[in-house]
Amino acid sequence: MSSEVFTQLVDAYYTPLYRFALSLAKSPADAGDLVQQTFFIWATKGHGLREAAKAKSWLFTTLYREFLHGRRRDSRATSLEDLPPGEADVAAEDVDRATRMDASAVVVALQTVDEVFRAPLTLFYLEDLSYAEIADALGVPIGTVMSRLSRGKAQLRAALAQEETAGKSKVVPFPGAQGRKRS
Amino acid sequence: MSNNEAKFILGAYRANGRDADDATFGAALAQARSDPALGAWFARTRAHDAAMAAKLREIAPPVGLREAILAGARASRAPRKDRRFPTMWLALAASVAVLLAVTATFWPNRAAAEAAKFAAFAVTDTARGGHEGHGEAAGALQSMLANPATHLGAGLPMDFTALRTSGCRTLNFAGHDVLEVCFQREGAWFHCYIARAGDFPARAAGAPATFTSDPHFASASWSDAAYHFVVVSNAGVEAVKRLL
Repeated sequence: MSSEVFTQLVDAYYTPLYRFALSLAKSPADAGDLVQQTFFIWATKGHGLREAAKAKSWLFTTLYREFLHGRRRDSRATSLEDLPPGEADVAAEDVDRATRMDASAVVVALQTVDEVFRAPLTLFYLEDLSYAEIADALGVPIGTVMSRLSRGKAQLRAALAQEETAGKSKVVPFPGAQGRKRS
Repeated sequence: MSNNEAKFILGAYRANGRDADDATFGAALAQARSDPALGAWFARTRAHDAAMAAKLREIAPPVGLREAILAGARASRAPRKDRRFPTMWLALAASVAVLLAVTATFWPNRAAAEAAKFAAFAVTDTARGGHEGHGEAAGALQSMLANPATHLGAGLPMDFTALRTSGCRTLNFAGHDVLEVCFQREGAWFHCYIARAGDFPARAAGAPATFTSDPHFASASWSDAAYHFVVVSNAGVEAVKRLL
């Protein structure tokens, strides 16, 4: 892959990748590191992919794997599949709240969603990947993606309401925070 | 299909409408159009999803992230050229390196002997290829080295520790860390090896550059107050001299 093509790839995807990473890592610095690491792996391994169309899914998959590789697994994550189904109904107030809250507060609320739901939910909201591509990226069946989206949305709505009530958005240092310098 | 089943499926329908042609949603979408209650739910869900998507689009990556990615990739991609070196080159380079090292052993001047050993080490490593390295600092140094206006012999401002800890390729020579950065000028690849002067005190600071050349690799060795340098290339000794 030429330098020009690589630059185009970075320009096309580093922003959505960062947004995805931020929802996972909860820290702008760690999110930046994840994105850099993902492109580093591409530069050293992923360039062998012949189908450029697969680059997008490959990047999201790799970033997610790097995140899973880097974080400590806790016991909570293994029991989330046993949670009851989420509330499917969306109230008009939920829509109003999501519209009026600022982006930093929304991200904080998103970061409180259980990780197993947060990854597909963020990819869904980024709108770059279809549900089938999300399933492929995360390595889960399509039905599981749909189930996690339903539960994740319910958790998120609750988190948004809580976040707004608590007024935490006034003290969140995002998105102006800068990534940690690597050197 | 019950409304609950339709909700389950429509929950994966992106608010921007990019899934409109996906047959998976066909029946559920039709049901939402014909069932007012389901239709109202779907409208609220899409509005909520659209609001969330819009919020995420407001998030901007940190300033400098793009540049850091590109610089890191340059640092990691440069060595790929080396992997194309034929095995024969490696054998020849190894022979030259051994010759340099043996010669250095009997060198009357210890400083010159160390310089020759360092050059031999660098030539061998260049021929071996497989270089890997990354990091913002390495990318910045690589850019500086690749700049035709940079005269390597005039001194290179750098932070050795920062380079090493941020991912710059680091080797071990005689028990000490040596950094290696690949760069390109005039279409040719060069490999700069950097050792701390304090790790090799026998070599005098400011020693004049010395050059070696064989049919495949040329090298230049010099020192300043802080570092010892070797640059190796297959572009010929004149190309190496022009760097300084």
